[in-house]
Amino acid sequence: MAAPTYPGAVEPQRESFVESLGLRIHVVEWGDPGAEALLCCHGFWDHARSFAVLAPLLADRWRVVALDARGHGDSQWADAYHWGAHIRDIVAVAGWIGRPVHLIGHSMGGGQVVDAAYALGAQARKVVNIDGFGPPPLSDEEEARTVERFTGFLEQRRLLASRPDWRPYAALEQLVQRRKAQNPRLSDEWLRYFVFHAARRADDGWRWKADPTLAIGTGPWRPDWIAPAYARLQHPLLAVNGSETDTWGPLPDAIVAPRLEGVRRLTRATIAGAGHFVHMEKPRETAALIRDWLEAA
Amino acid sequence: MTRLRHGRGALALHELSTSSGPTLLLLHALGGSAAEWGELPAAWPGRVLALDFSGHGGSDRLRGGVYTPEICASEADAVLAEVGACAVAGAGLGAYAALLLAGGRADQVPAALLLPGRGLAGGGAQPDWTRGAIALLEASQQPPLPDGCDPQCAMLGSDPRPPSYALHFARAARRLLLFEDGGERPPWWEASRACAVAVGGDVRDVLRQLL
Repeated sequence: MAAPTYPGAVEPQRESFVESLGLRIHVVEWGDPGAEALLCCHGFWDHARSFAVLAPLLADRWRVVALDARGHGDSQWADAYHWGAHIRDIVAVAGWIGRPVHLIGHSMGGGQVVDAAYALGAQARKVVNIDGFGPPPLSDEEEARTVERFTGFLEQRRLLASRPDWRPYAALEQLVQRRKAQNPRLSDEWLRYFVFHAARRADDGWRWKADPTLAIGTGPWRPDWIAPAYARLQHPLLAVNGSETDTWGPLPDAIVAPRLEGVRRLTRATIAGAGHFVHMEKPRETAALIRDWLEAA
Repeated sequence: MTRLRHGRGALALHELSTSSGPTLLLLHALGGSAAEWGELPAAWPGRVLALDFSGHGGSDRLRGGVYTPEICASEADAVLAEVGACAVAGAGLGAYAALLLAGGRADQVPAALLLPGRGLAGGGAQPDWTRGAIALLEASQQPPLPDGCDPQCAMLGSDPRPPSYALHFARAARRLLLFEDGGERPPWWEASRACAVAVGGDVRDVLRQLL
């Protein structure tokens, strides 16, 4: 099957692997390798080609680098996942770039680049977070189900030995439709391009590349730990969201604003007509916003 | 020693006493292994099993360098899946994992004894905001672990352990014994006392209270 195309999506010009905590992290790039670098981090269950339309719109001015998070895309799977390990991977890729970087992240990646900027210190210059402001606060009911959720985690870990991989789908289109059900705002044409690179073909059919164990997580982390993480950020932050309600987000401003309250150099922007996948739905508008903000003094 | 499948790797499970009677599962401290229990198994009137957590002793290392107490508890849970209900005793890191397991599997853990040891406090009651998310993975911040232990296991000494989180598990547990010898009592331990019995003296005698 030939790789699907999508208007505006450009094949990465370079591909590399960077080692981090014993895993190979897959990295793709667009633009002049000598230019100032933008490092892009995708959302949960997504992959580096999440930026395949946005990146070319910025690649005339910047070296645009996008990574596959561990367990996603063509990066290796881990036996267990942890937010801090994702941050370590971003730091490792920035170390491989070896020069100052601006960081751009979407959803999960948006939250990660905020922590990565803190870890990188002066090597990170400016930070763009596209609708990655965390889940809603825990309700009392959810809080009361802490142990029950943990028991569910134990059950899933027990099953892992007997179910180490996804079941195969006969046709790629089935994966496209599954993703469509979760992201109804994304066009079939984009999803065919995006899901093709999120899937691998074997003799028995198509499977997701992303590690199924990514979904098996538990621990004491709480959404009220988000605001203190933002409050220590010294870097300029562009916080972007779409105007339209979507499966995930945007969170009500009554939740987002207090989380960003401690950011010293904050710019907020809304892209009209976009849902959660702002840079996929409105790449030109998103690129123009980022370009203007990065180039401003 | 038995190799127990768990996740994508295998764990080392040691049978330290084969006596008939109720089963006791021992969970070692951070940097430890099943070899650390000395004469203690002889004090239990039944079968005694001791697990090596992943990255420790004879168990596999986890690919990708991530270790959490919740993963440790899931490894102990793999033993429950294999042998059925067990009383559990854990030291340090193993004590915290025993608390999680005793809460999460109250139907299969009739009683748990929490003992002092390395990795008892973790990183304290909440994240260290000044060090950041990555701090957890900075193995160099911790005293070195013994040879043979995955150096990444050091992150098991700096994960946040909020008292309110621990209390959920202490409430759910059927019977919780906290062995107090005048040493450190981290915030999660203090919170768990509300739902536990504090014990002291000779550990071998205390073990029998798990029956």
